[in-house]
Amino acid sequence: MKISRKIAGALALSAAAAVVLAGCTSRNTDTGSSAAPGATDGASAEGLTIAFVPKLQGIPYFEAMNTGGQQAAEELGFEWLYQGPTTADAAAQADIVRSFIQQGVDVLFVAPNDPNSMAPLLQEAQAAGIHVATTDTDAPDSVREVFVSQASVEGIGQQLTDSLLEAMGGSGKYAIVSCGETAANLNAWIEVQEAYTASEYPDAEIVDIVYAGEDQAMATQMATDLMNSHPDLTGLVGECTSSAPGVAQAVQDADRIGEVFTVGLGTPQSMLPYLESGASSASILWDVEGLGYLTGWAGVQLASDGDLGDTSSLSNEALSEVEYDESTGVLLLGPPTVFTAENAGDYDY
Amino acid sequence: MTTATEARAPQAVSMRRILPPIVTGQEVVLLVVLVVLWVLLGIFTPAFLTPGSIGPLLVQVAPIALIGVGMTFVIITAGIDVSVAGMIMVSAVVTARVLVSYDVPAIVAVALAIVIGAALGALNGVLIAYGRVHPIIITFGTANVFTWLGLRVFNSSTVNGIPSTLEFFGRGSAGSTLGVPHSFAIAVLAVAVAWWFLRYAKSGRNLYAIGGNQNAARLAGIKVQPRLVWVYLITGALAGLAACMIIATGTSTLDQSVGSGKELQVIAAVVIGGTSILGGRGSVVGTLLGAILVQTVVSGVTQLGWPTQLGFLFVGIFILIAVGTDIIRERARRARA
Repeated sequence: MKISRKIAGALALSAAAAVVLAGCTSRNTDTGSSAAPGATDGASAEGLTIAFVPKLQGIPYFEAMNTGGQQAAEELGFEWLYQGPTTADAAAQADIVRSFIQQGVDVLFVAPNDPNSMAPLLQEAQAAGIHVATTDTDAPDSVREVFVSQASVEGIGQQLTDSLLEAMGGSGKYAIVSCGETAANLNAWIEVQEAYTASEYPDAEIVDIVYAGEDQAMATQMATDLMNSHPDLTGLVGECTSSAPGVAQAVQDADRIGEVFTVGLGTPQSMLPYLESGASSASILWDVEGLGYLTGWAGVQLASDGDLGDTSSLSNEALSEVEYDESTGVLLLGPPTVFTAENAGDYDY
Repeated sequence: MTTATEARAPQAVSMRRILPPIVTGQEVVLLVVLVVLWVLLGIFTPAFLTPGSIGPLLVQVAPIALIGVGMTFVIITAGIDVSVAGMIMVSAVVTARVLVSYDVPAIVAVALAIVIGAALGALNGVLIAYGRVHPIIITFGTANVFTWLGLRVFNSSTVNGIPSTLEFFGRGSAGSTLGVPHSFAIAVLAVAVAWWFLRYAKSGRNLYAIGGNQNAARLAGIKVQPRLVWVYLITGALAGLAACMIIATGTSTLDQSVGSGKELQVIAAVVIGGTSILGGRGSVVGTLLGAILVQTVVSGVTQLGWPTQLGFLFVGIFILIAVGTDIIRERARRARA
C-alpha cells in the first residue's frame, strides 16, 4: 500500500512534468524587436508582425509552410513569427496563442487542432485589437476574418479519384487506407471520393476503408491484408502523408506493380521513389510553401485593410490560381498539385 | 554475464523438481485460440492462409516478438520498460540517416542500431538498479528524453530516400528464404535462446527470484543490480535490432511517428502471453504467441472487411482476460498457502 502510494505520487509528478515539457517550445530567436501593440500605421507592411501557430511544430509539412511565410516576410517586409506545440495538442496550442495575444501581434494565424476550443480564444484576440484568421484548417464558427485554404474538399477528393481511376482504366475495385479515424479533413475527402466515384465511375467500387493511424508499417500491413482479402483489387488510396507511401510500399513488396495501382496524399520527397518505380501513379497535394506565402500575404492585406480579392500583387507563380470567396471568407490556393515522377524531384519537402 | 561467480545454487536434481512443466496452461490455451482463429479466418476469407498473407503477417510480428523477449525478462523481474518507443525512434533515425548519408553495408547498420539501443537500455538499467526508483517512473522519464533526442536527430524533417540495404528484414521477396521471413526466423531464434536461458541457466532462474521477492533474492546471494542492468540493456539492444526491421518494413521515408505506440503493443503481447505483470512468472513462448495473436486479430479484422476499430476491442478483451486469469490464479495460490 505504502509503496503504491509513493509510486502514484511520483507518477503524478512525472506526468505533470511531461505536460509542462510538452507545453514549452523553442522560442524564435529572431524576435528581438517585439512589436509595439497596435502599431499598424497605413498600408505599408513595414513594422507589421504576423504570427502563425501551426498544429504541430517540427514536422516537414508545417516547416515548409514556415519557409513560405518567411519568404513572404522577406519580400513584403513584415515580421513573421512561427511557433507551435511539439505535440498536436489543443491545450498546448492555446497557451501559445495566449502568449501571442500578450505580445500584441498585428495579425494572428492559427491552424487549430481543435476548432471548437480555439473559437473563444480567437474572440479574445480580436477583442485585444488583433486581426485573427485561420490557415490550413478552418475554425468555421469563429470570428476569423479569413480562412486561407490549401485546396477545396471537392478539389482534393475528385483529383484523387480521377488520378486513381485513370491508372485503373476507369473501372475496378479499390480500397482506401486512411489514418486517424476522426480526422475531419480526411473524412471529408473520403466522402467526396465515395460520391464522385459513384456518380462518375459507375464501373468502379470502393470495397473497404481502413484506418492505420499515423503508423507507416501498419498502413503497409493493412494494404497487404486488403490485397489478400480482395484478390481482384486493382487500386489503393493512401489518404494521408504516412499511408500514401505505405500503400505504395505494400504493392512493391507484393511484386504487384502494374496490377495494383495507388495514389495518395504524400509529400513529393517521400513519394519520389515509388513514383519512379511505378508503385505509385500520382501523389496529390498542394504547394505547401505557396500556402505559407499566401498566408503571409493575406496577413498584410488584413492589417492594411487591403482587398483580399485583388491578387494582382501576388507575384509568386505558384499562386497564379488564387481565388477569394467573399461570402464565405475563404482564400483558396487553387486546384491541388499532382506530383508525378517528372516533377516530384523539384520540391525539397 | 556468466554464472561463474555465483553463490552455490541448488543442484540439477532439485532443479528439475521446481521447474514448471515444459509448456504451461496459458501457452496451450493461446495455441488453441490461434489455431482456431487461423482455421476460421482460412474459411471465411479468400486468402488468409496463403503464403502471401501469412508471410507479411509474421514479418509484422517479428519486431514486437523480438522486443517482447526483453520485455518478458523485464516484467519477470517485476519491472516494466515504457521507453521502448523512444529507443526505437533514436536507433531508427540515426541508422536511417547513416544509411542515407554513408550508404554503409547492412551489417554495419544493424550493429550500429543494436549498439545505440543497448546504450540507451543500459542507461535505463543503471538508473533503475542503482537509483532504486520504480522502473515505470525511470523509463517514463527516459522515454521523454529519448523522444527529445530522436526529434533532435530528425531536425524538423523526415529522412528521405532510405536505400533498400535492410531488405533482408523486409516484406519483399528479398526478406524470406523458402517462404520463411528472415525477421520472423530471427525472432523465433531469440525466443528459443531466451526460453533455454530462463529455464536452465542459473542467471535466468535468478530473474524469477528477483521478481518474486527482490529482498529475498538479494539475501539469497543473487547479484540483483547487475542482473537488472543486464535485462534492460538486452531490451534496448533488441529494440535496436527491431528498429532495423521497422525501417525495412516501412517506406523509403522515415518520419517522427516511428516506434510510436510500440511499447504498448509489446507489453500487450507479453501480458497476453501469460507473463504476470506482478513479476516472478512468465514465458517467452507465451510472448511470441501473444504477439502473433494480436497481429492475427488486426489483420483478420481487415481481411474480413470489418471496421478497423474492432481490432482495438478484441485486443483489449484479450488483455483483460489474460490479466484477469493471472490475478485469479495468484489469489488461488495465496489462498492455498
